[in-house]
Amino acid sequence: MRAFEYVVARDSAQAMALLAEHGSSVKILAGGTDLLVELKSASHGPQVIVDISRAEDMKKISLTGEGLSIGALATHSEIMDSQLIRDMFPALVDAAHTIGAVQTRNLGTLGGNLVTCVPSMDSGPTLIALEALVTIAGAEGRRQMPLTDFFVGPRKTILKPTELLVDIIIPKKNLGKPVHFLKSGLRKGQALALVNVAASLWVDKNTFLEPRIALGAVAPVVMRATQAEAYLAGRAVTPEAMMEAGRIAAGEARPITDFRASAEYRRDLIAVLTKRALENAVLLAQAKLKGVKK
Amino acid sequence: MTQVTMIVNGDSRTASVPPETTLLMLLREHFNLTGAKLGCDVGDCGACTVIVDGKPVNACLMLAVQAEGRSVLTIEGLATQNELHPIQKAFEDQASLQCGFCGPGVILSAKALLDNIPDPSKQEIRDALSGNLCRCTGYTKMIEAIQESARVLRGGSADQAV
Repeated sequence: MRAFEYVVARDSAQAMALLAEHGSSVKILAGGTDLLVELKSASHGPQVIVDISRAEDMKKISLTGEGLSIGALATHSEIMDSQLIRDMFPALVDAAHTIGAVQTRNLGTLGGNLVTCVPSMDSGPTLIALEALVTIAGAEGRRQMPLTDFFVGPRKTILKPTELLVDIIIPKKNLGKPVHFLKSGLRKGQALALVNVAASLWVDKNTFLEPRIALGAVAPVVMRATQAEAYLAGRAVTPEAMMEAGRIAAGEARPITDFRASAEYRRDLIAVLTKRALENAVLLAQAKLKGVKK
Repeated sequence: MTQVTMIVNGDSRTASVPPETTLLMLLREHFNLTGAKLGCDVGDCGACTVIVDGKPVNACLMLAVQAEGRSVLTIEGLATQNELHPIQKAFEDQASLQCGFCGPGVILSAKALLDNIPDPSKQEIRDALSGNLCRCTGYTKMIEAIQESARVLRGGSADQAV
């Protein structure tokens, strides 16, 4: 690795000050599972590394007035261990569980996964299906936006060099919304997704209400399958409807052929995984309805 | 140069290293603890696995300075002068390793697992080892050794096994 100056930020305010001071010569170190790999192979690197991994104010997982707030520095393991998340959104636990392996999940952070912004990121689809928002801190204060707007392209987010992703918020209206995540990779461990899918929905009088489908690894960034969503909204919950939604989702994705899989294979996976994610979310929704009736 | 101090295998250790030094290089080159191996150097193979504050991590993906004030356990910290750790003993008894390069990482992943789950299922063991690549012996005998050492660590007799 090339030499750099190393500074520690104890909280987000200190991190912001360091970013303002050093400008674009800075790289932020959170979990390091992507950054260190990049630094080892880069011919020219940043002059300063700001280590935010000990910024306690960015690690909290809590319910706030806005919804479920997950600090950007929560590690994938911490998300898997959080009782709050386990109770409310097991799909987020499932998604975290498919990332890398134990060692990398202990280091890697949710914020880091989003900021690195590879198309196959496993933490993206569930959050997008739950219409998550992100909070960004900058010199002019904080701003919030939907996670879908945060992603700009492969390895590119809307963040400016002096800005920091602070937390991820699942809005109040979606707390407890049934959601399911599925991933298909070439192996269970240490494998990038060929396709990953998350579906969230409510079931009302046996019809789909606010169905949301998010697809990963099949477009430049994690995408919503809005045509499939529109097809389902207000429609009766039937196996045929879910199968058709899978077909529509496969049609609106833009998968590529690479050494892992062909675009055609990925389209087939999207259709099947979307259908299964919907079926599982429906089961959750029906279980919830029964629970309420009791 | 940056000065770092941490607990390594129970002892306080200090070194002065350039900030770009990984924890793995600190352990191997400065503390002469060569049990953790340099394999892929990008966090895929798990040969560099050490336990930091109770959690297994890739030492190649941590800067040495990030371990400041933390407690690091390497394979050298498991056995005593007279006795192997039960996991090491089981790996030896069951011939779970061939070349042994992945061994320190595998055994530390197993240690972290058993510290949290004393009676893991086969699936939980496989999951715990998914970040440790073995390219010679395979995993069957490792899994058997981990089940065996789990029994011993829970206080059961080793003889009841098999």
